[in-house]
Amino acid sequence: MRSDSSYDSQRSDRSERSDRPDGERGDQKTFVRRQFFRRRKSCPFSGQNALPIDYKDVRTLSKFVSERGKMMPSRISSVSLKKQRELAQAIKRSRFLALMPYVSG
Amino acid sequence: MRYYETVFIARQDVTSTQVESVTQQYTSIVKEHGGEVTKTEFCGLRPLAYPINKNKKGHYVLLNIAVKPEGLAEVERQMKLNEDILRYLSIRVDVLDNNPSALMQQRHYREDFHRNFDDQDLDMGEADLASGIQEEGRL
Repeated sequence: MRSDSSYDSQRSDRSERSDRPDGERGDQKTFVRRQFFRRRKSCPFSGQNALPIDYKDVRTLSKFVSERGKMMPSRISSVSLKKQRELAQAIKRSRFLALMPYVSG
Repeated sequence: MRYYETVFIARQDVTSTQVESVTQQYTSIVKEHGGEVTKTEFCGLRPLAYPINKNKKGHYVLLNIAVKPEGLAEVERQMKLNEDILRYLSIRVDVLDNNPSALMQQRHYREDFHRNFDDQDLDMGEADLASGIQEEGRL
């Protein structure tokens, strides 16, 4: 449970929603629709300005790891299945070289 | 001829000149096998994310190697025998990247790391903050 809530707080779209002024919430229909639009995020490693997956690049990899150092599930980070496999491999290599921790905190 | 990317970590109390001489040795092994080291990066003394054999820091060296598999096997054998080397990892790659790797860029980044942190969005920085604090403590 605890880790779930921390994932949620890390999602920028959720925090933005709570920041929205109350006045906009009056129109329920548009609000709901917009919510659906916001939900659709694309894979950060695919498409035009895709991030490269590199086991040496700790800064990029650490975005896809929880505070405890666990890998983030792709349903939260919206990484595609193919890229998630690559990412997992990269994180494991990075851990082996002590660039990233196996467990932190 | 195949392309490999090799990273190894030397013990913290080894001097950087010693690290260089060891690297020289591996380069000559590669040359003996008809290969070539296209890039050598000394990433300096970096804090380890977790202690390895009671070492908290290590000298990271990255080598881009183009050699036959036997040549790499020999280099890896030498690394295994050398007690000053904590870890090594060789990965076969399709192309050798001659630009400075992320390992090198990170050191430049860390200087303004703390200044930037507050105005960056938290979801990207949280994990970094934890490791940043650890690194600071060890320095």
